[in-house]
Amino acid sequence: MMSRAMARWVFAIVSVLLGVAFVWPLFSVIAGGFYDGEFTLKYLCAVFRNPIYVEGLRNSIMLAIGTTVLASLVSLPLAWLANRFDFPGKSILTALLLVPMILPPFVGAIGFQQLLGQYGALNALLGLGPVDWLGKGRYLGVILLQALALYPIMFLNTTAALANIDPAMEEAAENLGCSGLRKFLRVTLPLAMPGIFAGSTIVFIWSFTELGTPLIMNFGRCASVQVYDALKEIGSNPFPYALVLVMLLVSVSLYAAAKLLFGKKVYAMQGKASVATASRRVCGLPGLLVALPFAVVVCLALTPHVGVVLLSASEPGSWYQTVVPEIFTTVNYVDALGHDMTVGSIRNSLLFSSLALVVNLILGVAIAFVVVRSDIRWRGLLDAVAMIPLAVPGLVMAFGYLSISARMSNTGIVRESEFLTSLVDVRTNPTLFLVVAYAVRRLPYMVRSAVAGLQQTSVTLEEAAANMGSTPMTTLRRITMPLITANVIAGGLLVFAFSMLEVSDSLMLAQQADFYPITKTIYELFQLLGTGRYIAAALGVWAMVFLAVTILGASILLGRKMGAIFRV
Amino acid sequence: MTVPLRCDRLTKTFGATRAVDQVTLDIEPGELFFLLGPSGCGKTTLLRCIAGFYHPDSGSISIGGRDVTQVPAHQRDTGMVFQSYALWPHLTVQQNVAFGLEMRKISRAEIRDRVNRALETVHMIEKMDSRPNELSGGQQQRVALARALVVRPQCLLLDEPLSNLDAKLRLEMRTEIRRICKEAGLTAVYVTHDQKEALSIADRLAILNAGTLQQVGTPRDVYSHPQSRFVASFIGETNFISGTIREGDGGFAVCETLIGPIRGRFANDSIVRAGDAVTISVRPETIRFDEPPSERVNVFQGTVHDSVYLGEVAQHEVTVASQQEVTWKAFELNPRIVVRDRAEPVQIWIPMEDVVFLTD
Repeated sequence: MMSRAMARWVFAIVSVLLGVAFVWPLFSVIAGGFYDGEFTLKYLCAVFRNPIYVEGLRNSIMLAIGTTVLASLVSLPLAWLANRFDFPGKSILTALLLVPMILPPFVGAIGFQQLLGQYGALNALLGLGPVDWLGKGRYLGVILLQALALYPIMFLNTTAALANIDPAMEEAAENLGCSGLRKFLRVTLPLAMPGIFAGSTIVFIWSFTELGTPLIMNFGRCASVQVYDALKEIGSNPFPYALVLVMLLVSVSLYAAAKLLFGKKVYAMQGKASVATASRRVCGLPGLLVALPFAVVVCLALTPHVGVVLLSASEPGSWYQTVVPEIFTTVNYVDALGHDMTVGSIRNSLLFSSLALVVNLILGVAIAFVVVRSDIRWRGLLDAVAMIPLAVPGLVMAFGYLSISARMSNTGIVRESEFLTSLVDVRTNPTLFLVVAYAVRRLPYMVRSAVAGLQQTSVTLEEAAANMGSTPMTTLRRITMPLITANVIAGGLLVFAFSMLEVSDSLMLAQQADFYPITKTIYELFQLLGTGRYIAAALGVWAMVFLAVTILGASILLGRKMGAIFRV
Repeated sequence: MTVPLRCDRLTKTFGATRAVDQVTLDIEPGELFFLLGPSGCGKTTLLRCIAGFYHPDSGSISIGGRDVTQVPAHQRDTGMVFQSYALWPHLTVQQNVAFGLEMRKISRAEIRDRVNRALETVHMIEKMDSRPNELSGGQQQRVALARALVVRPQCLLLDEPLSNLDAKLRLEMRTEIRRICKEAGLTAVYVTHDQKEALSIADRLAILNAGTLQQVGTPRDVYSHPQSRFVASFIGETNFISGTIREGDGGFAVCETLIGPIRGRFANDSIVRAGDAVTISVRPETIRFDEPPSERVNVFQGTVHDSVYLGEVAQHEVTVASQQEVTWKAFELNPRIVVRDRAEPVQIWIPMEDVVFLTD
C-alpha cells in the first residue's frame, strides 16, 4: 500500500499536469466557441446556419455511422466464431486480423487509390474503362478504408467481452430450454453488449474526427478537413472554434452516453468460471468454412497495405492502367531514407516520441500506483481523467494546443524572448506542443498497462516484503517494479509506436518543414508531383515494418493480454 | 527471544462495519495462540492489524512490551505466513528466504548459513534454486514458513496457512508448525476457521464473532465449558434445549424442560435464580446408551432412528418424547445400535457434569 501523504502528492502533481496539458486546451476550444468578451451562442448557431459547415458535419457523421456499422458487421461475426470454434490456423489468422492497426489508414489510402482508382489495378484486371469504384464524393472509399483500419478495435473488445461470459450463463439458458439463436440473442449478446458498445464508441469517435484519410482521398467536405483548412485563421476567426466545439460535444456526449448506459452494467461474473469456455474443435471442411471468413477479411484488410507495398516498389510512373507495376525497383526505399525531408522527419519523430515516452512512463506508473495501491478518495477520478483522451478526438486536442500557442505567442513577454517564442510558438518550434500532445493522447495506454500489471501483482507480495522489514522504496525497487516491468515496457512500446505514427496532431501542429514528423512528411511527399508519392509509399512501408516490430514486441511481453489495452 | 503480545481495546472499522470491535488479548511469551471464528468474524483483520497492514481506529498493540500501534509494518519485526503464501514469483526460493535478512543488513556469509538452515528445517533445501511457481502447494507453504522464521521475528503471524493444502498434508503440517514454534520459543498468532486445527495444536484460542471476542481459553476449556450459545454451537456439535431453573446449589442446578427435569452445571459464575430462562447444551458424544448409575439422574426414554454408521462411531438421531417430541443428535463410540429406515426404543442418560447451562 502507498502511504496516503505520498499518494496525495502524486495526485496533486498529476492533476496539475493534466490540467495544463489536457483540460486547458479543451477549455481553450470551448471558450473560443462560446466566448468573445461575453458568453454567446452566436458562433455555435452560425455553424448550423452555414450550409457548408452543416454539410461537413453531416458528412462526418455519415462517415462515422457508415464506418461503425461496417466495422461491426465485419468484427462481430468473426469475434463470435473465434470465441466458439478452434479451427486450423486460428492463432495466425486472428493475429493477422490485427495487422491493420500497424498502419494509419491514411497511408493505406495511398495504396488504396492506386488499386481502385479510375486508372488503377482493378480496372486493368477486369479490363474495364475508367470506372470510379470509390464512388461519387468518395464516401464509400473513406468508409471502407476507415472500417478496414478500425475493425480490430471492435474485434478485440468483442472477443474479450465474449470470453468474460461465464459458460454457466449459457448452460443455464440451455438447461431451461433456450438454445441456438434465441440463446445468443437473449443471453450471450446482452451480456457482451457493454464490450461491444465500448468498442463501437471508440470506432465512431475515431472515424468521426479522422483527418488523414479524407485528406488523402481528397474528400474535402467533411468537418475535420474544414477545420484543417481553417487553421491559418485561428487567431481571428471564431468559426473553426465553434466547429471543433460541435465535434467535441458530439464525441464526449457519445462517450458519456456509453458510460451511462453500460458503465454500471459491467456484469460481475461469479469469479472465474470453473469450466473454460467450450470452444469446439472443428477440422476438415467445417474447419475450412469457419476459417474462410477470417481469411477473406484479412485479405480485404491487407489490400491497402499491399497497394502501398507495390507502389513503394514500383519504378515511378510504371504503374498506370496495369494490374501490377511494370518495373520493380528498390530505389524508393533508399530514397525514403535518404531524401533530405525524410531523414529530418525520422529524427524529429524519434525525438518527439522518445520525449513523450519518458513523460508517459513517469506519469503513467505514478497514476497507476495511486489508482491501484492507495486508498485516497479521488483515485477513481484520476483513473477516469487519464482515460478521457481516448474519448476526445486528436483533432480537437490539436486545435486546442494551436489556440493556446497562438494566444501565448501574442503576449508581450513571449514576443520579447527568443527562448520563450521557440518554446510556445508552434510556428517557430512545435517540439513542446507535439511532445505534450503525443504524451496526453497516449497516456491511456500507459496507464492501462501499468494498472493491469499492478492488479495482477498481489498486494500481499508487497506486504510480505514490508513484513520482512523492507522500506516502501526498497519494496518498490526490489519487488514491485521487477514484477510489472513487462507491462510497463509493453505500454511504453505502444506509446512510442503510436506516437511515431500519430496523424492529426502532427499534421496540424508541425507547420515548418524542419519540424515535420514522419506522418506529415508522408502527406507532404504525397502531394508532390513526380516521385513524391512513391517515396511517400516507401516511407510508409518503413513505418509499417517499424510498427510491426514494436507491436510484436509488446504483444510477446504482454502475452495474450494485449487486447486489454485497447478496451475502454 | 520470547516476548508477550498484547492488544488493548482494538477497534477497526471499514465503512459502517466494525470488523474488530474492542478486542483485548494478552498472549503469553512463547504461546501458540489461535484466532478462530466463522468467515467475516474479523480474525484476519485482527491479524493484519498486528502485522501493521491495517491501522486500528482505536486501541493499541504492543509486542514485547513496546507499543507498536504507530510503527509501520516494515519496522514491526513480525514474521507473517500469508494465506496465499505471497512468495515473490521473480525470485528463487533461496532469494525469497534471504530477502528479510538482506533488509536487516546481515552479512552475506551469515545469510547463506541461516537460509540453508531455515530451508533444512522445512525440508526444502534441495529446492533452493527453484522458482515458486515450480513448487507444489505444500512446498510453497514450507518456503513461506521458512521465509517468516529465518529472520527470527519477535512473533510469528499465520493467516490460514494450511487452507490451500489437501487434508493429509494439512495434518502433517499442523504438527510440524507446532514443533517449529515450540523449538524456537516463538510467540505465534494463528488464524484459522478450521476448529480441528485449533483444538489440536493451540495452547490457547480466542473465538471471535462479528468482530467481538466471545471466549478465550485452552482448547479443552472452550470446548467443554462454552460460555455462550455461539461458542457452544461454533465449536463442535451440540444439542440445545431451553428450560427454566427450578433450584440450584454449588454450581449445579435443576432445570425444567419440555422433556422433564435436567440436572447440570453453570457455564460461568453468573448468578442465576429460580425462574430464570436458560439454554441447555448437551454434546452428542456425552449422551450414553449404557446402564445409568443408580441415582437415575438425567435418564430419558426415547426412540433411535436414522443412524449414520461410520465404523468407530455411529451418529444417531434420538427422539425423546414427553410433553413434546425433541430430537437430539447422539454419538455412540464402538456402536452397538445401528438403525436404518425404522425406529427402535432406547434408554439414554447424560452425566450431569456434561450438561451445560447457558444464560444467553
